Amino acid sequence: MAQRAVWLISHEPGTPLCGTVRFSRRYPTVEKRARVFNGASYVPIPEDGPFLKALLFELRLLDDDKDFVESRDSCSRINKTSIYGLLIGGEELWPVVAFLKNDIIYACVPLVEQTLSPRPPLISVSGVSQGFEFLFGIQDFLYSGQKNDSELNTKLSQLPDLLLQACPFGTLLDANLKNSLDNTNFASVTQPQKQPAWKTGTYKGKPQVSISITEKVKSMQYDKQGIADTWQVVGTVTCKCDLEGIMPNVTISLNLPTNGSPLQDILVHPCVTSLDSAILTSSSIDAMDDSAFSGPYKFPLTPPLESFNLCYYTSQVPVPPILGFYQLKEEEVQLRITINLKLHESVKNNFEFCEAHIPFYNRGPITHLEYKTSFGQLEVFREKSLLIWIIGQKFPKSMEISLSGTVTFGAKSHEKQPFDPICIGETAYLKGHPGHYTATWTTECAMSSEKLHFRILDYTLTGCYADQHSVQVFASGKPKISAYRKLISSDYYIWNSKAPAPVTYGSLLL
Amino acid sequence: MGPLSRDAWAQRLGAFRASPSAFMAGPEGEDLGRDLLGDLRSEKLSEQTKVSLLALSLEYPAQLWPDVSAAEVAATSLLDTLVLLPPRPSALRRPLLLAATTALAAGGSLGPTSGASCRLLPLLLGLAAGSDLGRGFVPASEQRPLQATACECLRELESCKPGLLGGSLGLLRGLLGQEGPVQPLSLLLALALRNTLVLQSRVGAGLGGLLTDKVPPTGGGPWDWTLVEEGDGRLQPQAPSWPAAEEGEGERSLTAREHSPEEARELRAAVIQLLDTSYLLTPVAQAQLLWLLGWALRGLQGQPPALFKPQLVRLLGTAQLTLLHAVLALKAAFGEALFTAQDEALLLRRLTLAAQHPALPPPTHLFYLHCLLSFPENWPLGPEGEEAAPLLLGPQLCRGLLPSLLHDPMALLARLHLLCLLCAEDEEEEKGQLPSPRHYLEELLAGLRQRAALDEGPRALATVCFQASYLVTRCLAGQPTVLTPLIHGLAQLYRVRPMLASHFVDFLDQVDSELREPLKVVLRQEVVSRPGRDEALCWHLKMLAKVADGDAQSATLNFLQAAAAHCTNWDLQQGLLRVCRALLRAGVRGGLVDLLQVLARQLEDPDGRDHARLYYILLAHLAGPKLGVALGPSLAPPALASSLVAENQGFVAALMVQEAPALVRLSVGSHGVKGPLPVLKLQLEALEPIYSLELRFRVEGQLYAPLEAVHVPCLCPGRPARPLLLPLQPRCPAPARLDVHALYTTSTGLTCHAHLPPLFVNFADLFLPFPKPPGGAGLGFFEELWDSCLPEGAESRVWCPLGPQGLEGLVSHHLEPFVVVAQPPTSYYVAIHLPPNSKLLLRLEAALADGVPVALRTDDWAVLPLAGDYLRGLAAAL
Repeated sequence: MAQRAVWLISHEPGTPLCGTVRFSRRYPTVEKRARVFNGASYVPIPEDGPFLKALLFELRLLDDDKDFVESRDSCSRINKTSIYGLLIGGEELWPVVAFLKNDIIYACVPLVEQTLSPRPPLISVSGVSQGFEFLFGIQDFLYSGQKNDSELNTKLSQLPDLLLQACPFGTLLDANLKNSLDNTNFASVTQPQKQPAWKTGTYKGKPQVSISITEKVKSMQYDKQGIADTWQVVGTVTCKCDLEGIMPNVTISLNLPTNGSPLQDILVHPCVTSLDSAILTSSSIDAMDDSAFSGPYKFPLTPPLESFNLCYYTSQVPVPPILGFYQLKEEEVQLRITINLKLHESVKNNFEFCEAHIPFYNRGPITHLEYKTSFGQLEVFREKSLLIWIIGQKFPKSMEISLSGTVTFGAKSHEKQPFDPICIGETAYLKGHPGHYTATWTTECAMSSEKLHFRILDYTLTGCYADQHSVQVFASGKPKISAYRKLISSDYYIWNSKAPAPVTYGSLLL
Repeated sequence: MGPLSRDAWAQRLGAFRASPSAFMAGPEGEDLGRDLLGDLRSEKLSEQTKVSLLALSLEYPAQLWPDVSAAEVAATSLLDTLVLLPPRPSALRRPLLLAATTALAAGGSLGPTSGASCRLLPLLLGLAAGSDLGRGFVPASEQRPLQATACECLRELESCKPGLLGGSLGLLRGLLGQEGPVQPLSLLLALALRNTLVLQSRVGAGLGGLLTDKVPPTGGGPWDWTLVEEGDGRLQPQAPSWPAAEEGEGERSLTAREHSPEEARELRAAVIQLLDTSYLLTPVAQAQLLWLLGWALRGLQGQPPALFKPQLVRLLGTAQLTLLHAVLALKAAFGEALFTAQDEALLLRRLTLAAQHPALPPPTHLFYLHCLLSFPENWPLGPEGEEAAPLLLGPQLCRGLLPSLLHDPMALLARLHLLCLLCAEDEEEEKGQLPSPRHYLEELLAGLRQRAALDEGPRALATVCFQASYLVTRCLAGQPTVLTPLIHGLAQLYRVRPMLASHFVDFLDQVDSELREPLKVVLRQEVVSRPGRDEALCWHLKMLAKVADGDAQSATLNFLQAAAAHCTNWDLQQGLLRVCRALLRAGVRGGLVDLLQVLARQLEDPDGRDHARLYYILLAHLAGPKLGVALGPSLAPPALASSLVAENQGFVAALMVQEAPALVRLSVGSHGVKGPLPVLKLQLEALEPIYSLELRFRVEGQLYAPLEAVHVPCLCPGRPARPLLLPLQPRCPAPARLDVHALYTTSTGLTCHAHLPPLFVNFADLFLPFPKPPGGAGLGFFEELWDSCLPEGAESRVWCPLGPQGLEGLVSHHLEPFVVVAQPPTSYYVAIHLPPNSKLLLRLEAALADGVPVALRTDDWAVLPLAGDYLRGLAAAL
């Protein structure tokens, strides 16, 4: 299990090549093994130029998708994983693990320790998961705390030295490149015995533990016969344990109040040393019943130095925090919209912010707008054909607010107006949250829907919390415990109830 | 040349990285490797620059030092540089070790005869063991990092030369137990252990004391290469692919091992030691360890897979891709021995939830989905190597994994595959289930088509729609309840957006005839039912060229007639003609003649007119099958990527006679004498099936009258053909050479011409008997002929040698039909008629043991030498 080469490519649409190789690293000793293992089916690693071209073509990132190209568009070329075969100089380089994130393409070629024809199933190639982990590790390193291009460039320039530590011969030693950075910086510190490889030093100072629970709530609301509204909570628990000693043992528990919603689908950090079978088996796949395990959720662990994601979970809360109703009708030249939003009484009515985005796709710019709202202000982005309803920090006492009005659009100019493959005609949505929904092309749907964006601090929908008693440390000194919670919306769609909307299989199960 | 400055090197390295091959081909290429080694010792360059030089050598040793000896020299030089470093902390020691290792391993010089190898290996092992190498070689602060690096270097060398560290197992194990850095030592020990197990079992040996022997193998002496040599330097897959491991090599090497109880105990202790400390390793390193140990212990007697059990619960809870993947590898390696049915179900559930967990990135979801469909089940039912839903993955588990229009294309296709598999299983299940997967599938496909129909939609939307349709037809072939709506949906899509014609053509090319034929019909209807001027005419024509065939001729022709008026530019005209061509190929004749005639007159573009005329002429002159061949795909690859050139080359190939090697063999058969003319009996033999064979003969020197051509309707190899009779009309009685040409049609419809080897007509082939005189008058008749030869003719006597068969045999074999008077075995009178009007008379009498004197007369002087040669050659000819 090893990598033959790794690349980082920035995607630059509109430039002649549509991209630049920002970093590449080859592993000649692995390449030598590949030549022997692959035998007659061996295809050498190409130079950066041809690789860039072939990869962008395969990922459809060249600006030339006007014409039908059989080698790319044929219906039989079906790719169901992020692992590709690239045609380079008449030969096919396979497997190439690659994905695009934040305009950077991460790519590597894992070693396959056998002949490539016939192709072995991906599941049997050990280097594939390692390749993914490698690329995710680089991605985490580049984007942790990085805000602008110059920081990105600095981090890119650190990569060669870091990989000399983390992956000197193509076999990944640590996907957490931050550790390697610390290793380079503190190489002179004599490390104690039996130090875990994922912990590069020891903490000196006041013991403290911080636990922060972030819940994101997703929803699809249709307000339609035969289609169920769906919503789901996704939680992330992030910890930072500043504790002395080489391997302090800690147990962190998450608790639920009596009426809390059980946590499901729990995935834990590898530093968790053992797991209760009730945690392992609680899953959203099963039908819910009262016997569901409702905590406390105990995680015994040996924490790493840096901040880490202790666990992820999902949960099915009984009601969505905000229930929405959205109607959009086409009336000759204008659209008539009606929106009602109702905050559920059990939800804390104290937002950091709350706004509803009402985009109009596949239309021209907004030329005229008449509206009436019971609460909040409406901002109009004419060129983007977007309305933003700013609801603010609190819903009124009635917990219910409404917006109605008519919108008129100008002629559609092909270039600028947002296109969406789903929001056709009256299909529309409303959505609410800072948009970092990243699926590349189904984003921001255009039948019609509204999307809600909001954030509530010191609150979780499930009720999940950690407190002073949640942390047990088996080491000297009582640590200071701090706990944070917040709820934010994510992909919170309210679809136009007067038009068809995309449904999932789950919403058909009434 | 002195050392380059820092900037000069930066520039040079930049140029090299931009395109290594171009740089190496340039003027500076040759010196790069040497300069690099030299400047590493320069005192003017900073350590940072030197590290960047070493980094380059880590990536491109094959370019810098292209052959084995250069690599050896480079490694030696790097080691020298390392030794010469002053005894203070330096950033160069690590990269120098890595570079020397890379140069040896990648350059191929690693081996017992390599001086650099013999220096590097003990050095690395010494560093890994943390032993004192003297002279302050390693400053204290660097000791631990270098210890780890040395382990990594050794691991890489062991990967490239399995067995290298077989002798150091005990040492490594001891180090791991004491103080060494856990991760590098664990990985190194696991790899060395695995390789040793495989190599030892191949030669039928056990581990011996290797695991307990704590003395370094070198001990100042030479390195032990025996295990490497036993392995023939063959690479060992660290994690063999599963199907490969099922059979042959893997199985044999793994089960053939027998270990003594002592060895088994030591081995188990070593494995437990490795597993127990595995949580100290980073997740990716843990995964490597599990792959290595899992496959090392598979099938090994006395090593229960339960050793892995304590790790599993911990691993199953994580979100780490590598760890879950490693668990799957253990599952594949041990199956039921490690995973009970309940464990298998739990693993599947974890995998299912990981494949859709919102906290994980999309590429991970996709990989887990792949793992689900290739899941190594304890008791797989389906055929191996095919993606299928595991038995325990019921509809309930799959619910969250079904596709929706909101997914991106890859996720949509992956999930669609699962949905199709569910639909295929659902076939026999009760129908009460709501919503039925099949209904959902239909809705989804309809949604995809709706998106593909969007006017300004990117091509990717159309592509994913057709890919999904294709996937469905692949998985659900033979299910009309799915395929019928699909066909109609696609027809509707075409109606709305004909510019997707290219996708339709591609789709038709890919799918089975089960779907292709009905889809063709509805698409044709879709096109021809909308005649007239239309922006989409070019797409309609493209579509029609694919789907037009012999059916619904009149509608198609009507459409074309109506379209012809609007085909005003070259492009459209060519499109139109392509449809005509498709119809021609399909054997449509009736109305097409009229259409082509009209086109040949009416089209504005002369090229279009010419083409129409050509098609018209072809249609009028060629029979159906020939037409099909003429218009079929071009046989010769076109020199230009132009359709016209391709088409013309196709015509040339199909309509002109091709010069070809002879596919028939022709030989002259036995001689027979019947009738008034000499007849050559020809034997024909074909090497491939050929049709309409015509053989043409030409007589050299005009010795005979011109010969008629011979026709054979069909000839197949292996099937004997009737002999051909070729009557000769000699103008003078002389042997001749016949030039033979063959014209024939091959089974692909090409007409070929071949020059066959010439045929020879011998003197004896011309012999004809005289009419038989009435009974008893033979002698008188002969005497009369004998006398009539003189005085114009010639007389001669020839000695005719006799073989062992004697005179009687000779006569019966060669001259039987011509004997007029016979007194066996002593005397024969022979009269031969030589067309056109010569005679040859022979008296064979008074034979001796070895020959017979022959008196001969002829009325033609020119025959005399021929007759003499003939008689003298008779004995040999028998």
